[in-house]
Amino acid sequence: MASSFLSFTGPLRAGRRFTSLGGLATTVVLLAAMPLLYVIYNSLQLSANEWLRLWSSRLPELLWNTLSLAVLVAIGCVLLGVSSAWWIARRDFPGRKLATWLMILPLTVPTYVFAHIYTTLLEEDGWLGQLWLGVFGETTPLPDLYNIWGVTLILSLAGFSYVFLLARAALSQSTRSLEEAARIQGASTLEVFWRINLPLLRPAIAAGLAVVVLHVLSDFGAVSMLRFQTFTLSIYLQMSGRFDYQAAAGLSLILVMLSLTFLVLERFFRSRQRYYSARHSRQQPLRRATRLETSLIWLWLGLITLLAFGLPLAWMLSWSWQAWAGNLIDAEFWGYAGNSLMVAVIAATLAVIAAFPVAFYNARKRSVGSQTLLQFSSVGFVLPGPVIALGILSLLLAQLPFLYGGLAALLIALVIRFLPLAVQSQDAALAQLTPSVEQASRSLGAGPLETLWRVILPMIRGGMATAWVLVFIDTLKELPATLILRPTGFDTLPVRIWIEASEEMLELAAPAALMLVIGTLPVLWIMMKNHTVKTESG
Amino acid sequence: MKYIPSTLLPSLLALILSISPLVSFADDSLIIYSGRSDKFVKPVIAEFTQQTGIKVTLHTGKSTALLNKLRIEGARTDADLFLSNDAGNLQRGSDWGLFRAMTPSLVAPIDKRYRAADDTWVGLSARARVLVVNTQGPWADKLNSVFDLADPALDSKLGITNSTNGSYIAGVTVYMLAAGKDKTRQWLQGMKANVHGKVFNKHRQIVKAVASGKLQAGLVNHYYIYRHLDKYPDAPIKIVLPDQGKDGMGVAWNVAGIAISKHTAKAALAEKLVAFLTSPTGQKQFAEVNREYPVRTGIAASPVIPAAGSYRVADVPMSALGKQRDATLDLIEEVGMP
Repeated sequence: MASSFLSFTGPLRAGRRFTSLGGLATTVVLLAAMPLLYVIYNSLQLSANEWLRLWSSRLPELLWNTLSLAVLVAIGCVLLGVSSAWWIARRDFPGRKLATWLMILPLTVPTYVFAHIYTTLLEEDGWLGQLWLGVFGETTPLPDLYNIWGVTLILSLAGFSYVFLLARAALSQSTRSLEEAARIQGASTLEVFWRINLPLLRPAIAAGLAVVVLHVLSDFGAVSMLRFQTFTLSIYLQMSGRFDYQAAAGLSLILVMLSLTFLVLERFFRSRQRYYSARHSRQQPLRRATRLETSLIWLWLGLITLLAFGLPLAWMLSWSWQAWAGNLIDAEFWGYAGNSLMVAVIAATLAVIAAFPVAFYNARKRSVGSQTLLQFSSVGFVLPGPVIALGILSLLLAQLPFLYGGLAALLIALVIRFLPLAVQSQDAALAQLTPSVEQASRSLGAGPLETLWRVILPMIRGGMATAWVLVFIDTLKELPATLILRPTGFDTLPVRIWIEASEEMLELAAPAALMLVIGTLPVLWIMMKNHTVKTESG
Repeated sequence: MKYIPSTLLPSLLALILSISPLVSFADDSLIIYSGRSDKFVKPVIAEFTQQTGIKVTLHTGKSTALLNKLRIEGARTDADLFLSNDAGNLQRGSDWGLFRAMTPSLVAPIDKRYRAADDTWVGLSARARVLVVNTQGPWADKLNSVFDLADPALDSKLGITNSTNGSYIAGVTVYMLAAGKDKTRQWLQGMKANVHGKVFNKHRQIVKAVASGKLQAGLVNHYYIYRHLDKYPDAPIKIVLPDQGKDGMGVAWNVAGIAISKHTAKAALAEKLVAFLTSPTGQKQFAEVNREYPVRTGIAASPVIPAAGSYRVADVPMSALGKQRDATLDLIEEVGMP
């Protein structure tokens, strides 16, 4: 790919362009790596003795907790995500489109809201608590969420949609001829699934799991509400409980290395598996589900929906209604909603712009250097939010104090945190673009800029939109960095949810959570529209 | 330039807007970094604004996180005042030199025990760490000391908060200083065995569980008991003031308080607010809204709570809550309290 391009445009020109593009990409990545520098600097202050103490007192437990949680959530997400994706991509049943929506709606509910809702519902006078005591008797103790199983439940419900999205896309793009061949040889549906679908799905599942695991590693909301000691929570407690930045930085550094190892493994795993995309498969009608299948499908999807979206939504609506009836929704509330929206829109836009040079550079170059840049841009995703926030706070105050005071600090943190999402989606979109289109444009006399605006960008529109939506959704839900970096008196919906929930003002937390759901719906719709177009034309 | 799409302009505008600190959300009002619940602070602040016309912006969060922020921001901070629910945090800020001393005459009416030695912070309201006991259970009249909570007979009948709770940490600090480290360690180990890892996020839930009979006793701040009794006057619970008598170490107290940021440009306005909060009017409000103890001498607390001075309070200065906090955390971690 690269060599034909070079021979066409000439090595000299290509070289020059790559340099400026590469320079831009490097700049973006270096900026994104700023918080990492802060972490490294601070952990260098730790003496060997302090490292030893950290190692012996905390690390074994933290490592065990974090890794086992990641594995359990990954299993939970695969179970929920792949099963639902398979039914939806392989069977035609009434309400199939609705089902797709129901499987991605949980993305609109932040993990701390999930955790809060489920702990409330499972109290003795909560809905689930009442149900439980009614069914099992007054003496049976209520299930306790303050352990690894509770956190696994919450994070699986909050994260399986990522696996679902990628698995569904892969399933509907992959050819069915292999499955048919297997069936002709007499394989059962289950066998086909295990021996054909699952192996072919591996790259998609791996990609989905990468997103899920990174969310688990960086999750702050659920683990802090359920007090489950992972790296992120422990880091936060070191910083805010003991004001011990160095120990926090030391732990962060280990977390970063852990996450990067995982990312490299995932890349390696994925790069070996590119064989599944058969572009020219016939459009075949889906097999109609039998009546039994339809009821089974809806039983399963209904159960998932009930737990992952129905119950939380009902809870939000019921408390929001009380807030509405009690006239608690005032101008201040709409102010919080406006703040959230503004921050999310600006941050998503900036992230998409900032990610483009990195993704484009890698798409054109595909070298070790560009791959390394791509990996390093992930740094925001693997560092805990509070650490990014503190890193930026310190750096801005020390080096660029004129930037401090407005929204800049918060926006920088958000862009750094979610840059990886934008880079990955754009990289994926650009990978499908052949250089010949660009060369045709150039040979017809268009300049590089015109080629970019009129050819490249329109062709990766879908990928750009997906990137924007993913960043938007995560920004809208972002809590830890916003808590630290929001301008004075500037509260967003997540911040209010956090404050009201910790004061147990449920009637004030619920409408804010509901607004997050409502605010995310239109952008999800945009993304789904893109998604369908892509899969249908592919 | 005709190929620059229309979406680019709004984006650039946004970029410029976001970079410019002109987008500032703080006008000429007083800004408080507030680590207390909005619902306790807002009524009193509203009263202040109404009386003086001075606007107040609350930047709410966790006390420790806000103190962190104040420290890192240094001279760049927007905060004029820092409000915390824990004397430990206030003293820590004083030790770091984040606060400015207030006019002595301003803080003079506040009992010396409840303000900084150098007047860099002043208490606003005090709370007592007490036992809540179910009056119908076998433990109704048996508990006299917080150390009784380690009794193995209370197995699965004891309610405590998780060990990151500020009031809990401050309480442990007081016991550690008053009764010694070894005794406190044994006590923690006993409680740990009694609760089997099941601790509470909220004091409210402890009181509720004791009232329902699921638990027999809990360690809480005094006002949670009265808040529950407000809603359910017949609830079978009562307050026990622990460690009284000749040899008792006394009840652990903690204060919520306020400090003026060293870097404020509005020191005079800030002192006005402090003056209001420590005035008889402000103090009465605190006493009424949350049933806390006023710290100004001569202002009576709510008649339903045990009168200050009618019982023994542990003789540990508030400043120790800040200085000994790390030692307490070490102890809690060493025992492995959930």
